[in-house]
Amino acid sequence: MTRIVLENVSHRYAQAQADTLTGVNMEVPAGQAHALLGSSGSGKTTLLNVLSGLEAPSGGRVLFDGRDVSRIPPRSRNVSQVFQFPVLYESLTVVENLEFPLKVRRVPGPERRRRAVAIAERLSVADLLGAKPAALSLFEKQLVAIGRALVRPEISVVLLDEPLTAVEPATKWQLRRVLKSVQAELGATMIYVTHDQTEALTFAESISVLHEGGILQTGSAETLFNRPSHEHVAHFIGSPGMNLLRGEITDGAYRIAGQAVAPASGLAAGPCTVGFRPEWAVAVRRAGNPQAHGLPARVTALRLLGTRHGQPVGVVTAQLGGAQISLRQVLDVEPGEEVLVQIQGERVIGFRDGWRLSTGAGPSGRGASYPSA
Amino acid sequence: MLPVVLVVAFSAVIPLMTVVNYSLQDIFDPETPLFVGFEWYRETLRDPRFMAALVRQLGFSAAVLAIEVPLGILIARSLPREGRLAPVFLVVIAVPLLIPWNVVGTIWQIFARPDIGLLGASIAKLGLEFNYTSSVVDAWITLLLMDVWHWTSLVALLVYAGLASIQAPYYQAAELDGASRWQVFRYVELPRLRSVLVIAVLLRLMDSFMIYTEPFVLTGGGPGNATTFLSQHLTIMAVGQFDLGPAAAFSVLYFLLIVLMCWLFYSSVMREDEQ
Repeated sequence: MTRIVLENVSHRYAQAQADTLTGVNMEVPAGQAHALLGSSGSGKTTLLNVLSGLEAPSGGRVLFDGRDVSRIPPRSRNVSQVFQFPVLYESLTVVENLEFPLKVRRVPGPERRRRAVAIAERLSVADLLGAKPAALSLFEKQLVAIGRALVRPEISVVLLDEPLTAVEPATKWQLRRVLKSVQAELGATMIYVTHDQTEALTFAESISVLHEGGILQTGSAETLFNRPSHEHVAHFIGSPGMNLLRGEITDGAYRIAGQAVAPASGLAAGPCTVGFRPEWAVAVRRAGNPQAHGLPARVTALRLLGTRHGQPVGVVTAQLGGAQISLRQVLDVEPGEEVLVQIQGERVIGFRDGWRLSTGAGPSGRGASYPSA
Repeated sequence: MLPVVLVVAFSAVIPLMTVVNYSLQDIFDPETPLFVGFEWYRETLRDPRFMAALVRQLGFSAAVLAIEVPLGILIARSLPREGRLAPVFLVVIAVPLLIPWNVVGTIWQIFARPDIGLLGASIAKLGLEFNYTSSVVDAWITLLLMDVWHWTSLVALLVYAGLASIQAPYYQAAELDGASRWQVFRYVELPRLRSVLVIAVLLRLMDSFMIYTEPFVLTGGGPGNATTFLSQHLTIMAVGQFDLGPAAAFSVLYFLLIVLMCWLFYSSVMREDEQ
């Protein structure tokens, strides 16, 4: 398995007005399960095509184990890909499909058969070896497609382009589990592209968030969740995402509507965006609670998610000043009620021009390609 | 429903039944038919000229399919799939399909003439003997060239449409596998082209089997009867000799023959699908 590095990769399609990828820097150590998270139009597919060699980048380099492969065609890169729908050879049986990448490389028959059967057994499709794709379910077909991607021993990296898209919802979690266990067992470098954060956060050790052709941040799920370096990451990750409110830094504190909510020592004064996750704040009812402090707001809706210790918990949506916020808490307030929002000050994150404000080093997360704030 | 039934009955069913009726009668004139049962059928099947025409017809259809299907596939694969020139190419290759069939015959009649035709004169300049009015081989060659020129585009366009329906990931996966051009054709394209090719072959089989205008204009069935196919033989009998009984029997046999061939081809393809 191979270490993949993208060095300042940019790409513009032939007739396009603007770059689809703008100076992407990314590093995936050998054997890592890496996810590329981004919404439609963020450049995910282009990045995949640059990695697989189907597109040669307009600028920058692609390095496999330190070797520049930017201009090397796909067939010589030893890359395999799993697509959004199962891509199999319809006229061949399952075992012939699995053997095909080996057959093309003139691997002798018995060895081909051995590897094909081994990967089929690993993916629990060994009893389908003699069947044609038309007889298989979507789930089984995608398993065979994954098998085809893993059957060659000299594979550098496996690329996955939203592989759960076509599979029936009931079997998505099964396929996810198979992918994760196979990745861990074979130590395969896998790059998983998706717009679904749950898929990314559950599959990958390291996630790169892609936005408008650039990587905003790379890090573990925990890092992206607790220390997002850009507003887009903060809002995209989490369900619901981070609340981002207009505020300012004055006299060494973050203020929303004039009220101090968190310390901001060492940061330049001025307008900024104040961010806090729904999990880091709570709304308490105002009525009958004269001692309570916090930002005044009004509850607009409740969404029940379950119970904890017998109490209903869920998402409270409230109107704070001109903005709508979400809070994850025990549902002990009612829609229409006046509440006070209490924020855990030490977890608040400030953003200016989209980027996180911090004392000392600039935006963290390796691979960030934007200038530090 | 009734208007449709009436129209179909009037234009198809009643004429067909009339032909079947005639095939069982000896028609001296429209007022005096004589029932003769299957005699015309027996006579037709024993007629050496009918058999000769049938053999020529089968040979022609087989040759036409053997050339036009692979050539059509080849052309379709060479056409650009996208870009501004793609529609231009499609229109250019479609042009032969738009020419009236008798004009096709006339074009080739002149084109292949050894005195003033571009093709014929060029061949003569090379020192080769070429005369499609006197040589059987030359007549057949000209006939086949004409048909290929006329109809290959149909196969090419159908196959082109079939190829356009193959989504990019199939080609990308084959590229990542390292498949050769031939392997891409055999494992990605050909399986998807099956249904399109069945239609193309059926159309060419039926159309080539009833071909009339072009060979009639080009060679008139000659030299001798070297290029007289079934349709022309039938027309001579029915219109020229006004022998309605045997002509009707011939028609019915002709019709059944085409239906039989198409059914055999189609069901063998369907049986393959089920496996």
